[in-house]
Amino acid sequence: MWDKEREQELRRLVKDSGVKLLEENLVQGTWGNISVRLDEDNMLVTPTGLDYNHLTPEDMPIVRISDPSVWSDGKKPTSERKIHAAVLAARPEINACIHSHPVFATIMASCRMPLPAFTEEMQRVFGGTVEVGAYGLPGTKKLKEGTVAAMQGRNACFMANHGVFCVGKTMEEAFDVLRLLEKSVYEYIQQKTLEKTGEKVYSDELLFKLFVKKHKK
Amino acid sequence: MTDKIVETVLEYAKELVKQNVVGSGDCISVRAGEYLIASDASVALADLTAGDVKKILLTEAEGEYALHAAVYKNKEDVLAVCHCHPAWVTPIAEVNGKIPTVADDMAQIVGINCKTCKNEQKAIVKNLKKRNSILVEGDGCVTTGRTLNEAYACALVLDKAAHCYVGSAALKKNVLINVFEATLMNVVYKMKYSKKNQQNLQSEEGNRNVG
Repeated sequence: MWDKEREQELRRLVKDSGVKLLEENLVQGTWGNISVRLDEDNMLVTPTGLDYNHLTPEDMPIVRISDPSVWSDGKKPTSERKIHAAVLAARPEINACIHSHPVFATIMASCRMPLPAFTEEMQRVFGGTVEVGAYGLPGTKKLKEGTVAAMQGRNACFMANHGVFCVGKTMEEAFDVLRLLEKSVYEYIQQKTLEKTGEKVYSDELLFKLFVKKHKK
Repeated sequence: MTDKIVETVLEYAKELVKQNVVGSGDCISVRAGEYLIASDASVALADLTAGDVKKILLTEAEGEYALHAAVYKNKEDVLAVCHCHPAWVTPIAEVNGKIPTVADDMAQIVGINCKTCKNEQKAIVKNLKKRNSILVEGDGCVTTGRTLNEAYACALVLDKAAHCYVGSAALKKNVLINVFEATLMNVVYKMKYSKKNQQNLQSEEGNRNVG
């Protein structure tokens, strides 16, 4: 059992993390969700479909990790809580999970392309190539199983046509994983654009020219 | 008009600027009974002040405001309009005129694809009858919502989807969400997922029955 003071601290952490996702445009609207471990069989998660700016720490429900259909306190939990529960159950060293819809990573997710770990930092932080979880509708078993499989031995994965799932020992670490993933995809796209155009300097205009060329064929 | 509505318009003008989805000729508005409360279309959203927020009778709206008024008149459930110019959305029309359904959040809030229509009030209003967002030839996009928060989220999601579509040129083709699943997600979003939040936000953004 955890103490109440710690619970309040973690409730505030989840609330602030949701606002941070919006502020950094790592998610839009009410999408995405966050969890933090309370103890080995309980986690706090964000509720379903509510604006992060208007949530209060008390709105976060407590969900049982071994059976995520069981929840108490707070508002109705996110429908993706089963993914959070499965990852936390399988990885005792992980205490925080973020599912979000960042811009660059969603490009990879929509192409269903894995991201090779092309730097030592990526290898260390992600644990290797960032894989793509199988496509599934939101809240489905297919989405859960695809994401959990792609997270094996990794701290991040893409969710096909959807977004990303990132984890860390702490919430701060999970955010670091998420931010590095965005930065790495951006660099990867720049690199691929230069390879395909033969140019030396990347610009968004160059990428757009490549797009126009491809679509005017 | 209430201070709360003016505050809401100023708040989302600031957010659109912060998220860099603005350009020349942006204008956002909310409906308040028989009026529309809009940002001055001649003032950049970055420079908008409370004095630049106008209250206009729907029946007397002209120019950019006439477009907003026509959208409100033709769609009862629309209470906010956002005409903005996101960087990745604007040039899509030059190529093939539509953003395909590349991501699930786009399927949910925008629906299947987002097409380009002629830059004419009649065409924009007609196209918005069956969808909540449309690309406008040479003039960014018009997104709508039950709240300004929803119209703003539409603009962000549309810009991200456009970026995904363009960015795929460096990688490989996007895998698209099929029509059945996109439609299903759109219906679930409107009828279930977003319902409570939109109700909360409607009262948060100010009472729209107060002219």
